[in-house]
Amino acid sequence: MQRFTRFRQVLVMAGVASLMLATSVSAGASSTSGKYNAADAKLVPASYKGTTLQVATDATYAPDESMKNGVMVGFDVDLMYAIGKTLGVTVKEHNVTFDSILLGIGAGNYQIGNSSFTDEKSREKQVNFVDYFQAGEGVYAKSSSSAKFTGLKSLCGDAVAVESGTTEQSDAQKTAKACSSTKKLTVLSYPTQTEADLAVSSGTATFGFLDSQVADYVVSQSHGVFKSVGEAIEVAPYGIATPKTSTGKQLAKAVEAAVKTLIANGTYGAILKKWGVTAGALTSSKIVLNGALS
Amino acid sequence: MDTNGDAAVKVVPVRHVSRWVGWAFLALFVAMLVHTIFSKIPQSCALVAGKYRCSQYNWRFGWNQVFHYFTNGQVLKGLVVTLELTVLAMIIGIVLGIVVAIMRLSHSRLLSGAAWSYTWAFRGTPVYVQILFWGFIGFLFPYLSIGIPFTHVYLVHFHAKSVFIPFNAAVVALGLNEGAYFSEIVRSGLIAVDEGQTEAATSLGMSRSQTLRNVVLPQAMRVIIPPTGNEVISMLKTTSLVVAIAVVDLLGAVTNIYEQTYQIMPMLILASLWYLIVSTILSIGQFYLERYFARGALRTPPPTPMQRIRRDLRGIASKYRTKRGVQVGATP
Repeated sequence: MQRFTRFRQVLVMAGVASLMLATSVSAGASSTSGKYNAADAKLVPASYKGTTLQVATDATYAPDESMKNGVMVGFDVDLMYAIGKTLGVTVKEHNVTFDSILLGIGAGNYQIGNSSFTDEKSREKQVNFVDYFQAGEGVYAKSSSSAKFTGLKSLCGDAVAVESGTTEQSDAQKTAKACSSTKKLTVLSYPTQTEADLAVSSGTATFGFLDSQVADYVVSQSHGVFKSVGEAIEVAPYGIATPKTSTGKQLAKAVEAAVKTLIANGTYGAILKKWGVTAGALTSSKIVLNGALS
Repeated sequence: MDTNGDAAVKVVPVRHVSRWVGWAFLALFVAMLVHTIFSKIPQSCALVAGKYRCSQYNWRFGWNQVFHYFTNGQVLKGLVVTLELTVLAMIIGIVLGIVVAIMRLSHSRLLSGAAWSYTWAFRGTPVYVQILFWGFIGFLFPYLSIGIPFTHVYLVHFHAKSVFIPFNAAVVALGLNEGAYFSEIVRSGLIAVDEGQTEAATSLGMSRSQTLRNVVLPQAMRVIIPPTGNEVISMLKTTSLVVAIAVVDLLGAVTNIYEQTYQIMPMLILASLWYLIVSTILSIGQFYLERYFARGALRTPPPTPMQRIRRDLRGIASKYRTKRGVQVGATP
């Protein structure tokens, strides 16, 4: 009997603890700006109203998205919560591997993919994209390295670490095919960007190849281990992905309206400034559906 | 008709109603399974002149994709990497496992202690962690060298990245992990051999190593072989974890394809089919190997599948013969 009471006490305490944890997590999540906008909210498909939108993100891509003390943070994340608030819907972020996001949207597991996606024509066949930002591709190497980057062809003869499913992976693989047989390019594809970064710091790969502002961030956070090499290339828009269904398309239109509202009321600019990525800001006229350049 | 009141007992076979119901359900389930596997789903449908028409039908399981990529160059290359990893890791694992098991049973505290520590460390941590560890070993040791400890005198000195390229790191990680498991299998085999065997060998004047090589190990093999087959098949599938350190094995190859085509299910089915093919071949090999090593213990070895089929056929034939014989006899 005594033991049973003890057990109950433990249960109650565990319950209180988990409740406190839950509040602290949601507090962390709601610390973003954005205001409910009735006109934008009207655009949300009826079947999604009052539900929680499941958002898939690969949080290994700081400053766009990363995990900090168990909470997902980053400019993409802040923007997503602000969009949710504008549209009057709750959003739930899921941390998954990058290459599984578009597949998960196709399978109906998620309604939104928000993970620094470059809007590409081949991806537009699978999902709808709301363009909201732009970035190029950047290259970094170890500070001790003498390797130089002067365009994709200069990667030949070395090993480059990329994250699976990224634009950089397909660009590196295309380059590898074009390299001569004496100067082969080894493309090492890792499940997450974290492992790709580890491959460069451990010397397995010479170059890290990823979106330019993320490359800059990796370099700035490396305490001198890494340096940027060369200029960013292939600047292209980022897109928030929604399913390739009619409901998905409607949701994309709602998101598009919300991003425009956030630009107009200054929230968009404030979020980008907070994360130091204002260089990739787009003006309201560039916020379009499926605006892939290539 | 019977007139003296004794109703003739009519013999009827027992009715296995539940058995027949069971068969019916199974048949229904199999039919549904086969149907869904080979069903087609309509694509690009539209209302044409008031009627719903679909211009295209695709396999639900994407069989055309599966067979289109089944012998694709990338897939076959990945399959070869998977097989190489399996074979190399098992060779390292088996050699290491035998050595460690023998060390473990040694009277020397040094040897048994070292063997125990190795098994403790490599069996006690997840193989995925070990793969990551060896994959990024250059983080800990940028250079590897053989020379005089605590000095800068080296015989050999090289970049960790030139040795621990992802493939080699994967082989080392899988091999060392397997060694720890395999040593336990070998140890159980050695323990299973009756102590009297060792005593008898000693009384014949054999040394400890002679006893081990000529008496204990051959008998231990019978216990060791079945779990070894199991380990090989297990290793075949464990190799798929090496994707974590950028080795493109069978799974890595199909991943590369579906990242471009977004046809995930057909590619996973394709990979599964290849894994099944290889593991089937391996289990056939295991059967004959087990049969070979059972020689010393069983009077009649278990029949091979071919022998079993032949025996069954003979059984059916003789049954048929007797049945006909009875019928012939019963006819007045």
